[in-house]
Amino acid sequence: MAFNYDEYLRTNKMPTLWCWGCGDGVILKAFIRAIDKLGIDKNDLCVVSGIGCSGRFSSYIDANTIHTTHGRTVAFATGVKLANPDKTVVCVAGDGDALAIGGNHTIHGCRRNIDITLILINNFIYGLTNSQTSPTTPRGFWTVSQKVGNIDPTFDGCKLAEAAGASFVAREKVSEPKKLEKVIREAIAHKGFSFVEAVSNCHINLGRKNKMGTAMENLDWIDSITMPKKKWDALPDEEKANYLPTGILKQDKDALEYCEAYQMVKDAHQGKRGKITPEDFKKKD
Amino acid sequence: MSLMKAPENTPVWTDESRCKACDLCVSVCPAGVLAMRYDAHSVLGAMITVVHPESCIGCQECELACPDFAIFVADRKEYKFAKLTDQAKERQKKIIENNYMMLEA
Repeated sequence: MAFNYDEYLRTNKMPTLWCWGCGDGVILKAFIRAIDKLGIDKNDLCVVSGIGCSGRFSSYIDANTIHTTHGRTVAFATGVKLANPDKTVVCVAGDGDALAIGGNHTIHGCRRNIDITLILINNFIYGLTNSQTSPTTPRGFWTVSQKVGNIDPTFDGCKLAEAAGASFVAREKVSEPKKLEKVIREAIAHKGFSFVEAVSNCHINLGRKNKMGTAMENLDWIDSITMPKKKWDALPDEEKANYLPTGILKQDKDALEYCEAYQMVKDAHQGKRGKITPEDFKKKD
Repeated sequence: MSLMKAPENTPVWTDESRCKACDLCVSVCPAGVLAMRYDAHSVLGAMITVVHPESCIGCQECELACPDFAIFVADRKEYKFAKLTDQAKERQKKIIENNYMMLEA
């Protein structure tokens, strides 16, 4: 008996619409295994996805799903979580979805530290609409909007989330599905905003014009630009910019979670407590 | 629904209605168990084939790497997997050099 993925899938929608070898399928698989290991019931799980190839995520997984507007995954998920604090809410967004069009929603989700897991699928390009420059496209790459080579500086999603106040930040790549599963599992189990950047391949719309036309070549390129965090820490400072560290980059278990803070507002309105004062948020020793 | 229960005495089996012939499973196999065969009915002109099931070591790399839910590996309780041999490693190298296609017998 192999692992029964079909239990968590809408099998009438198979085969998937993704291209052959697309990393999104590997991430979906890792996510399903993580949910299964954590023992989360399908009825207690809400998956929110935006627009893009990653948007198909919510179509294939057989849970409570919302397919929302472009970039607004975190905004919708915040509403879902505030109304149902006992449910597990997971957002899935692409790099263009969560860092460009919905960048504002992402940083404010991080700032509030609400208990949502955001899986950011970073394939370095706008894949669905055929290769426009996204915030994470490396400099010098061919894109359809910058045909002589991309000149835009590259965005680091993990640094953004860390600075904006997410209490769990991690990065993993699709070529190591077991580690990816572990990171997603820890992200969902963490209480607070969990940001997971899953570095994925798009050999069709990024690779073909950049000398890595097959999934294997694209994954090799991803392996060459990523490095486990421990190894990355030992690098001299000037080389650090050339590599993306993988693994858990930040975990803060003491940060105040937004649903708990919101409970104070509910209590104040119901007369169970007085008004909220700055003293309520002072760190206790 | 794909077949989840292992067919009798099978270490690894596939669902051809889901396979898109991306070659990923063939590239990660350490033991030359999998290869592509020519298939005129498939979009990319190839289809996954289990060529040497007797060499399978049960590492599940192919199942983890497949993005299309098309390949399954039996449980260690159900099937006694082989040990990795030099002959199998050699065959894997040749399959990759042969552009992931099946070797001629």
